[in-house]
Amino acid sequence: MSEFPDPIAEGLSRGWRVFGGETPLPREIRCDVAIVGSGAGGGISAELFVKAGLDVVIVEEGPLRSSRDFNQLEAEAYPTLYQESAARKTADKSINILQGRCVGGSTTVNWTSSFRTPPATLEYWREHFGLTDLSLDALQPWFERAERRVSIQPWTTPPNENNDLLRRGAAKLGVATSGIPRNVIGCADLGSCGLGCPINAKQSMLVTTIPSALDGGARLLVQSRAHKFELTRGRVSALLCVPVALNGDAVSTSSTRIIARHYVLAGGAINSPGLLLRSGAPDPHQRLGRRTFLHPVVLSTAVFDHAVKAWSGAPQSICSDHFLKQYPIDGPIGYKLETPPMHPVIASTTLAGFGRAQTEALARLPVTHGLLALLRDGFHPESPGGSVSLRSDGSPLLEYSLTDFVMEGARRAYLSMAEIQFAAGALTVTPVHEMASPYTNWVQARKAIAALPMKPLLTRVVSAHVMGGCPMAGDERRGVVQPDGVHWQLDNLSVHDGSLFPTSIGANPQLSIYGLVTKLATQLARRITGRDVTVV
Amino acid sequence: MKRRTVLRLGIVGSVFVALGGGLALWRPAFHDGRLTPEARDIFRAAARAVLEGAFAASPIAGDAELDAQVERVEAMLAGFPSHARKELSLLLGLIGTAPGRRVIAGLDVGWAEASTDQLQHALQRMRTSSFTMRQQAYHALRDLTNGAFYVDPSHWAQLGYPGPPEL
Repeated sequence: MSEFPDPIAEGLSRGWRVFGGETPLPREIRCDVAIVGSGAGGGISAELFVKAGLDVVIVEEGPLRSSRDFNQLEAEAYPTLYQESAARKTADKSINILQGRCVGGSTTVNWTSSFRTPPATLEYWREHFGLTDLSLDALQPWFERAERRVSIQPWTTPPNENNDLLRRGAAKLGVATSGIPRNVIGCADLGSCGLGCPINAKQSMLVTTIPSALDGGARLLVQSRAHKFELTRGRVSALLCVPVALNGDAVSTSSTRIIARHYVLAGGAINSPGLLLRSGAPDPHQRLGRRTFLHPVVLSTAVFDHAVKAWSGAPQSICSDHFLKQYPIDGPIGYKLETPPMHPVIASTTLAGFGRAQTEALARLPVTHGLLALLRDGFHPESPGGSVSLRSDGSPLLEYSLTDFVMEGARRAYLSMAEIQFAAGALTVTPVHEMASPYTNWVQARKAIAALPMKPLLTRVVSAHVMGGCPMAGDERRGVVQPDGVHWQLDNLSVHDGSLFPTSIGANPQLSIYGLVTKLATQLARRITGRDVTVV
Repeated sequence: MKRRTVLRLGIVGSVFVALGGGLALWRPAFHDGRLTPEARDIFRAAARAVLEGAFAASPIAGDAELDAQVERVEAMLAGFPSHARKELSLLLGLIGTAPGRRVIAGLDVGWAEASTDQLQHALQRMRTSSFTMRQQAYHALRDLTNGAFYVDPSHWAQLGYPGPPEL
């Protein structure tokens, strides 16, 4: 157990109003604003509304866990802090999705990479989705505010070897890399970001906006699933919540009824459209749940003649945008190169293979380098993203087709990664694909990768960024919500999370959510209270 | 099982229909939250094939390890939501029947009787099959087996992983 000061334990002892889990849920709650979700969008919104003097209730499906619980163990982190025990999958099981499900949402378990929304992405949104006020200049003050709030700064500690190999290999090929800004204070370079920061260095929602909102009187319902909005004459009249167990199953049908003036949906992509689908929300133009994007990720491993220890140190500190800029944004799909941390479970389940060959490959984990390419989906007609529907039990299910267009980019990404790894001095390179094997030089790898069948379930694909499904747009034909985040058909409902994005971002999305939601929540607070509010 | 439920289950359902007789033999893989003996046999077999070389060499020690492995798989599955457990139950129930095992896994002998070599051939055929459900079955067995094994600190030495850093 961590001996570090725990702001959650301290807050609870000060009398924070937290219900659920051990504490029974109230039957009915009245408030000014009900927020579904406590991640990037919910956290930022909650703090701003409380500062504006509003009575806020936050509903979180996952448990409240904090630094005293974070033991840097995958065995504990995955079942408690992630959706579906970190094994959420697309309908055909071809993509494994890492998504947070705890107080703080994905910000509690992400790898801290903090990028502003790329200018080319914003330009595409202005042109294709009528989001004319999302210019770089207009967003700059909101990004600056968000960066100050969660302490996003350049990371000046030397990168771990896993990241430095990307830097060195790319440099040999003339491929530009850059450092990754991170939202940390006093980071000890442990490498355990994905398992919950045990020393509260990561400035997630869990240790920033949520404590601030709770200190200001907000109420938090944990292990409580927002099940359904009740709709009356074009407005939300109530939100029904049910208690859920740690595995996500409802434990009782007795529900809590929350009656608010305004409702903010920030349950994350997949879950936010899922709740609107369960509620029978109006969707006259069939936009709800469609165009859900994943930044599909393919990986490449390499064996080196020296220690890499890819589990140790800041997981992501170096990246390359070279292959995002190679073609126009609406041309052949681009990809961003980064590195993954490699702890025992994530490595052994994500890499390919079995039997003695796998046992021998995993024995080389300390000298194994990992690279990942996240594909920028959603900017081309042949990359339409996935679609959320409901299972018979009401849970959301994402169908996502890995089209030939997307997989052509995955093949180029395998090539780029292998070339960089050989340039960095790799002894062997293995693309993470069911039909690949270790290649001993670039010529051999290039030939083999060119022949790999780029099909789902043969190509190992993962995702840690779920976006879209409730897109904002300048007119109701193209979006679920208006440019101010308010639902086109439901006047007292706003969406404030990654499901707002009309395409993928082309970079790790946390700062895109923080910045945009700081803007939307500030405007919404003004609309509700008639007063201006700022946090930092 | 109701016909409607089978249809809703898409690919798994269509295999049930194709197998005909297999449907009558199907049983869920969980009983009172625990894996059934048939499902335990499947995970023991998967462990022998997937983790070859990672287990202790002695047959007796190997058997105790296999029991521990199945316990870990069960613990892992307890953290899954019911829709995922149901889907897995369908799959395991299906490949736990002789017709399902033959059609999906291409395995002519029972899971408990199959040699490591036979199991690995079966896994490799499922892995590279053009039939989605066989591939899904491969990934489910392989990923659950690896996850349950390498989550255990006593197996980290095999990966050269020293465990979490001291604070």
